[in-house]
Amino acid sequence: MGTVTIDQVRKAYGTLEVLHGVNVNIADGEFVVLVGPSGCGKSTLLRMIAGLEEITSGTISVGGRVVNDLRPKERDIAMVFQSYALYPHMTVAENMGFSLKLARADKAERQRRVAEAARILGLESLLDRRPGQLSGGQRQRVAMGRSIVRDPAVFLFDEPLSNLDAKLRVQMRSEIKALHQRLGTTTVYVTHDQIEAMTMADRIVVMHGGRVEQIGTPLDLYDRPANIFVATFIGSPAMNILEGRISGGRFIAADGSEVDLGGRGATERGHVLLGVRPEHLVPGPGGLPAQIITVEPTGSETHVTARLGGQDVVGAFRERITGRPGDVLSLRPHPAALHLFDADTGERLEA
Amino acid sequence: MRAPLSSRIVVYGFSALLAAVCLFPFLWMIVSSLKELRELYTIPPSWIPQNPTLSNYATVLFSSNIPRYFLNSVVISLGSTALSLALAIFASYGFARFRFRGKAAAQSFVLVGQLLPTAAIIVPLFVTLRWLDLVNTYLGLILVYMIITLPLSVWMLTSYFKAIPVELEEAAIIDGASRMGVLFRITLPLSLPGLVAVTVYAFVTTWNEFIFALCFATDSSVKTLPIGLAEFTTEFNTDWGAVMAASMIMTLPVALLFLSMQRLFIGGLMAGATKG
Repeated sequence: MGTVTIDQVRKAYGTLEVLHGVNVNIADGEFVVLVGPSGCGKSTLLRMIAGLEEITSGTISVGGRVVNDLRPKERDIAMVFQSYALYPHMTVAENMGFSLKLARADKAERQRRVAEAARILGLESLLDRRPGQLSGGQRQRVAMGRSIVRDPAVFLFDEPLSNLDAKLRVQMRSEIKALHQRLGTTTVYVTHDQIEAMTMADRIVVMHGGRVEQIGTPLDLYDRPANIFVATFIGSPAMNILEGRISGGRFIAADGSEVDLGGRGATERGHVLLGVRPEHLVPGPGGLPAQIITVEPTGSETHVTARLGGQDVVGAFRERITGRPGDVLSLRPHPAALHLFDADTGERLEA
Repeated sequence: MRAPLSSRIVVYGFSALLAAVCLFPFLWMIVSSLKELRELYTIPPSWIPQNPTLSNYATVLFSSNIPRYFLNSVVISLGSTALSLALAIFASYGFARFRFRGKAAAQSFVLVGQLLPTAAIIVPLFVTLRWLDLVNTYLGLILVYMIITLPLSVWMLTSYFKAIPVELEEAAIIDGASRMGVLFRITLPLSLPGLVAVTVYAFVTTWNEFIFALCFATDSSVKTLPIGLAEFTTEFNTDWGAVMAASMIMTLPVALLFLSMQRLFIGGLMAGATKG
């Protein structure tokens, strides 16, 4: 069973605490992505699961067994490193079979499992090459093959795609996801790229400053971010945030522009933040005036940066916008898709 | 893209000049070892021996202590190189990979021994060897040469180990290797050029050393080749032909060592380990 339970885990280097009590429960077979800006502690947490970093306090369990004091090889985990970390002096087959060799598996068994993993990853023709003779994507696959061969309860990935070029990254992304669907092995995946997190995860753990900000399915986080950090971190282009107050069921921006809250602003509040995703700004009559600053056509949609309510906002439109910088658009935030946050705590305000 | 002709001429010119300067003594050694004693003293010197002879080699091989000294040199050089390498591997790995109190100080102290002039440590070493009853023994000289070669070996290997990406070792640990397993299966194979460099350095230093051998080896059962060369000089004259022939014999193993290891000096083993 590949459950992972992270309970009140802290990590300190001397007096500097970098993880402040993290709780995450990962079900068997789940694909969980740890995401956050650099320095948020996501890699440290992964390395603690792997056994490469000591756990200062709290417990980590794999398959219901507390692994705090177990060595990495006893934890039933396998890890794929950002740099792949392939052994350059061994062939692909030797790289993949190294763990079995150390475990003294007999040779026939070793060859069978390496061949099986190679077949899954399409590496059969490369088994006698050395890592130096492989392309980036192939190295990445060998690194995954090394993990698959061990048939662990949990796969750990530490930013495995950040060394690949953009196109290959998209391809490997779906390969990893397909692999997970095929093997059904619990996977913990660390990335700083929210697109990777959104596209791959069953559930996302958003981390920031050594704390968990929110845990949920990708669309949960997108539709109902728990706080301003998650709201602005998930989604690209990022969510627009307007400062203002709630009065009479309407949001009043700093410059006096008013936004209809669709019945959500029942209570009067002095200082709130209104979040609007770029695609929820609808062009059309009856909206707020927005002066265009830049227009960025991406082909499928057009991104427009404009000045609205005294602040810069970004809109993403399916329609082709023909306006030029300086023109004024009329933009109406979609009332059903607005997010309200407390300006002091950053927490989400429910209706 | 090739460099312009003029700059290539300059590069080749200087390279040739450098090679000529470096190789001239060896050439002269070969030529002289084939000359008769009489011809060695002629002025102007001749470039090609008039009556090439192997008699100098015969003298060295059959009527001197050189063969025995050669054996002594081999035993002592191999012994101290092996000992030095074994100790340097573990010390360097510790310095390269672990954090511990006093590490910087310990690393500096390793070098301090290297700073003392040879003359200053001969007497203390002699007293120590005397006390240990190791004067004029293989083990005594092996230990002395280990002391001489170990510091630089440790520094060279430490920087070599540091250059190996730590993820490789972490991957091996996750694959189930112990620390020793990591060292012997991953780190050392990848450090081969570094190990070769250290081996050659330690061997050549020991092989050529003169002063310590002169002081701590008192009879032909332990004396080494450099002492043997000096013994051709007697109170009244020097058998230069024999000195040159013995020098050839002494140089040969070192030259062979360098030639055989040359390919390994040039790294390239790390290619493909990590990104790039």
